[in-house]
Amino acid sequence: MAYKTVENSEKLRDYRGDIRISRGPIDAPFLMLTLLLLTIGVVMVFSASYASAYYDLKDETGGNASYYFTRQLLFAVGGIIVMLLASRMPVNFYRKCAIWVLIGAGVLMVVVLVIGVGNEQATRWINLGPVTIQPSEIAKVGVILYFAHLICEYKNDMGTFRRGVLPFGIILVVLVGLLALQPHLSACIIILGIGFIMMFVGGTRTMWFVGGALLVAGLVGIMLFVVGYESERIGVWLDPFSDPRNDGFQVVQSLYAIGSGGLFGLGLGQSRQKYLYLPEEHNDYIFSIICEELGFIGATLILILFALLIIRGFWIALHCRDRYGFLVCTGITSLLAIQVLLNVAVCTNLVPATGISLPFFSYGGTALLMQLGEMGIILSISRDVPTRKIVKSRQIKKAAEQGV
Amino acid sequence: MTGNNKGRGARIAPNSMMLRRTLILMIVCGIALFLVLVVRLFQLQIIRHDFYETKAIEQQVWDTEVTAARGTIYDANGDILAMSASVATIYISPREVYTYDIVDADSPHFTVALTEEFIAEGLAEILEIEPQVVLDKLAKKDRQYETIALKVEPSVSERVRQFKKDYDIDGLYLQEDSKRYYPYSSLASHVIGYVGAENRGLLGLELVYDDYLTGVDGRIVRAKNAVGTDMLFTSFEDYYDAVDGYDMGVTIDSTIQYYMEKHLAQAARDFDLLNGAGAIAMDVKTAKILGMVSLGNFDLNNYQDVSEDVKALIDAEPDPELASQMLTEAQLQQWRNKTVTDTYEPGSTFKILTLAMALNEGVVHENDGYYCGGSIDVPGRQPVNCWKAGGHGAQTLTQALQHSCNVAFVQIGMRLGAEKFYDYAEAFGLFEAQTDKDVYLTGKTGIDLNGESGSMWWPENLFTNPDNKTQLAAASFGQTFTITPLQLITAVSACVNGGNLMRPYLVEEIIDSEGVSIMKREPELIRQVISSQTSAEVCRMLEMVVGDVEGTGKNAAVAGFRIGGKTGTSTNTVLEAETGEKQYIVSFVGVAPMDDPQIAILVFLDSPSADTGIYRSGGQMGAPTVGKMFADILPYMGIEPVYDEQEAAIIDKAVPDVSGMSADEASAKLSELGFTNRTMGTGELVTKQLPAAGSVIAAGSQVILYFGVEPGQGEATMPDLQGLTYAMARQKLAEQALFIRASGAITDPAQIIILSQSVGVGQKLEYGAVIEVSVIDTRDQNEF
Repeated sequence: MAYKTVENSEKLRDYRGDIRISRGPIDAPFLMLTLLLLTIGVVMVFSASYASAYYDLKDETGGNASYYFTRQLLFAVGGIIVMLLASRMPVNFYRKCAIWVLIGAGVLMVVVLVIGVGNEQATRWINLGPVTIQPSEIAKVGVILYFAHLICEYKNDMGTFRRGVLPFGIILVVLVGLLALQPHLSACIIILGIGFIMMFVGGTRTMWFVGGALLVAGLVGIMLFVVGYESERIGVWLDPFSDPRNDGFQVVQSLYAIGSGGLFGLGLGQSRQKYLYLPEEHNDYIFSIICEELGFIGATLILILFALLIIRGFWIALHCRDRYGFLVCTGITSLLAIQVLLNVAVCTNLVPATGISLPFFSYGGTALLMQLGEMGIILSISRDVPTRKIVKSRQIKKAAEQGV
Repeated sequence: MTGNNKGRGARIAPNSMMLRRTLILMIVCGIALFLVLVVRLFQLQIIRHDFYETKAIEQQVWDTEVTAARGTIYDANGDILAMSASVATIYISPREVYTYDIVDADSPHFTVALTEEFIAEGLAEILEIEPQVVLDKLAKKDRQYETIALKVEPSVSERVRQFKKDYDIDGLYLQEDSKRYYPYSSLASHVIGYVGAENRGLLGLELVYDDYLTGVDGRIVRAKNAVGTDMLFTSFEDYYDAVDGYDMGVTIDSTIQYYMEKHLAQAARDFDLLNGAGAIAMDVKTAKILGMVSLGNFDLNNYQDVSEDVKALIDAEPDPELASQMLTEAQLQQWRNKTVTDTYEPGSTFKILTLAMALNEGVVHENDGYYCGGSIDVPGRQPVNCWKAGGHGAQTLTQALQHSCNVAFVQIGMRLGAEKFYDYAEAFGLFEAQTDKDVYLTGKTGIDLNGESGSMWWPENLFTNPDNKTQLAAASFGQTFTITPLQLITAVSACVNGGNLMRPYLVEEIIDSEGVSIMKREPELIRQVISSQTSAEVCRMLEMVVGDVEGTGKNAAVAGFRIGGKTGTSTNTVLEAETGEKQYIVSFVGVAPMDDPQIAILVFLDSPSADTGIYRSGGQMGAPTVGKMFADILPYMGIEPVYDEQEAAIIDKAVPDVSGMSADEASAKLSELGFTNRTMGTGELVTKQLPAAGSVIAAGSQVILYFGVEPGQGEATMPDLQGLTYAMARQKLAEQALFIRASGAITDPAQIIILSQSVGVGQKLEYGAVIEVSVIDTRDQNEF
């Protein structure tokens, strides 16, 4: 089989036949960081959500203050299982699935336009009884898995337009087009972002990104023009206090929460903004509640944990000997980074408001399953990373080859 | 890299550009952008912390004001004169009012198009105002506080609260407030006073005792969630308790006050007063104010409303500026308490003081003889004329008082001397002496009421000038200096209570909401001015003014009671100058009962019309008014009437119940009380009588007894009684099976004249109705 080509000198790991050769242990720091963030996230969901769950304005919880917490906890447990399962799958399995994941996502994105549910502004979800799924979530993974595959296929031809830009561009245009029909701005941004990062890492020439940036600027311009509600966002972003009771409401409330946290915060569970002042307080704006309750110190610690997780993700990618694994790991880590950075930037009003959830923290079962599944893929890839010993011997060998 | 290259699926390592670019990504996404976020957090949480915290707390903390209940004012009997009830002020913050015209049946929020029109119409309907008023206020988008309705009753404010809740209206607020209620509306309006929109007293006792009545507003500071209920588990809550205002007991007796107002208002109608009237009733021993009236009264519950007549006048004025000025003037006029704010020349009522001074100094005696030839020479001025042309001739001191003889009183003043007179006048509290003997003097009683004016008395050097007795002569009969009516009655009370000048007061006791006494007022003796013997002599002589047929005050007499008093008439020079006609202030100060004086009543009527046919003098107008007040008040005070035989024969009496009696029995019982009777029908026993048992009617009236028949079903027509004597009027009414009673005192049914009647001429009446009339004794009209 294709996987037997590991340099013999590195055959220090357990060998279990053709399918699973050289599979090391999963990356413990990455796993630990994930679990740590997940744990804090679930606790924060409890703290942030119990007021709105208790008052139950959406007529969903029946007044049970721990409703959201219980559900999030169950999904977290399920998510850990999914993650561990995903970490057991060989990387090639994902590569084989890649095209089908992307096509599936595309189909679902068409389906969602027909039978999807949503609010008065957009249709984004497919209702599957107890859970709802967002096809755009699947599309993000699909893009990563399939782009990585394409990049591997095109090998050194990535510098050309025909190989390095065109196929990726077509896929992105189709996906963004489908998303724009929902419409779903935040998913557009993430998919474009992740697509460009994949292309960037894969070797597409820098000049195309300059062109791409101009293209995106144009698209955003059209977006603002066509979809009116987006342009209001910009005005509110620049001065949320211009309309603190309507369009600026969320941002203003978020700033109140963050600002009143101070250095040490009001203490876990002591948020006051969660008492129906801050909308989406256990969801897109959960980070604001974290800031309010845990203060600058707590919020910074959580950001550091995220940063560490992301750095570790890139570290795994950089140490991956397989190009496909490397690309997927970079992509998923970048996806995680984009979501965390954008979410916090929205909460702190660094960028205009858009609905991006905070991985491991924001309430939402299927999203959590997806995220943990993605972490599982990284863990699966991490199994191919040589241990320190191997790296060392490899460096020695390399040095020897170069005649140092 | 050196990985092998076996086509699709071949395992190749990332190339160096990939690694390089990933490294860049790692630095950007894993470090640089996170640093940006941390800096941003630092900016928000540390640098701008105070700003956001303040803003957040502003919205999280709900500061509710708890209005302290204003204290209740009770009268001497514990009846409530003023009380507070909880109401709400409704206001909007146009800035915060959030409107939309989306309707979404699926959402719990967008149930109606919440437009400005919708809000305005909803509020207008509940508050019964014009929607446009609300719309105009909503249009002021930059305003935060626009009052929609003040002091709304709880039943209405509850509907507003529901309206706000139903449609989730932002920027509509209800503020707890309290409203003052005056159960007797206009009774004692000048004394009680009123409170303004801010619950602060603006007049009368409400103003003087505002600090006691107001209390301290409380606050509740509480963390609340965005829909206004309490936060779960979290508790930051602070209470600042409201301290309710103190309750107050006043000396005013609402019954006495009522009788005074009733008779004073009647006098104002009878005598067609140009400039209002006033009356004070004082407990002579303590100087407690039992009643205090200043016409016209106004409704304390709507203190800005002027009387109908004035309103009609103002409405007729085309110039709005002038109209509003007229309204302001009319309001100031109606809020003016004439009894303490207006000063006047007391006139002859002041002779009581002159008499008391002279008696106390022993320069005059009850049986001294005085001769009045019609005028007397006074050094420094023209001769003083007596009001009676030709003079009173020879008279005793008592008769001089009875006649109110100016000549005699100038003589008394001269005997006393200016220095003594000056000292006594000061001792009676008419002014305060100054070290500078050349300044005009002034003084006040120091009553606990706002707006008290000071008197005006001559400088000491001017008054005591041995070469010029003008001032002394005028002062002797109460003219050319001014005092307030309150000062006069306070001094008169001192003359009859044993000689003690007391400080008048209105508030008896202040208690807190727990019933603990904060202040208890004790009668305050200022000084003893005259001896008790002198006081007793004064009392004896005052009784002769009312009780004797020679007295000018006989119209104040009430059968069965020993009443003393003194008439007074002076000119209202200010009004005279304005109108160009002679204008008088006629007054009477009465005291009763004379064996042990308890109450003094001063009535002054400002500028009665010359056209009523009644001579404008204290004896003709003031005395009967005081008499009617005494007739009601003395029995109310529990003073038992003692009638002599003559009085018993002439006073109005209650008809006894004679039904079921035989004709003889009934006739005997009726004649025992001085009633005659005639019979109708032929039965054995009385089946019915007119008027009904218990009706009070004039003595000598003919009661109709029915024996087995019903009274006729016709109607009586009210005749005109004006100008008839009481006895004649009784006869005239009897022809139509009507009966008469007097609202005042009956002195002599054959002499007293009907002044006014309770039923208009020509009105239809049932048989047996009792007509109430006011009467006046017009004999010897020409007197002061």
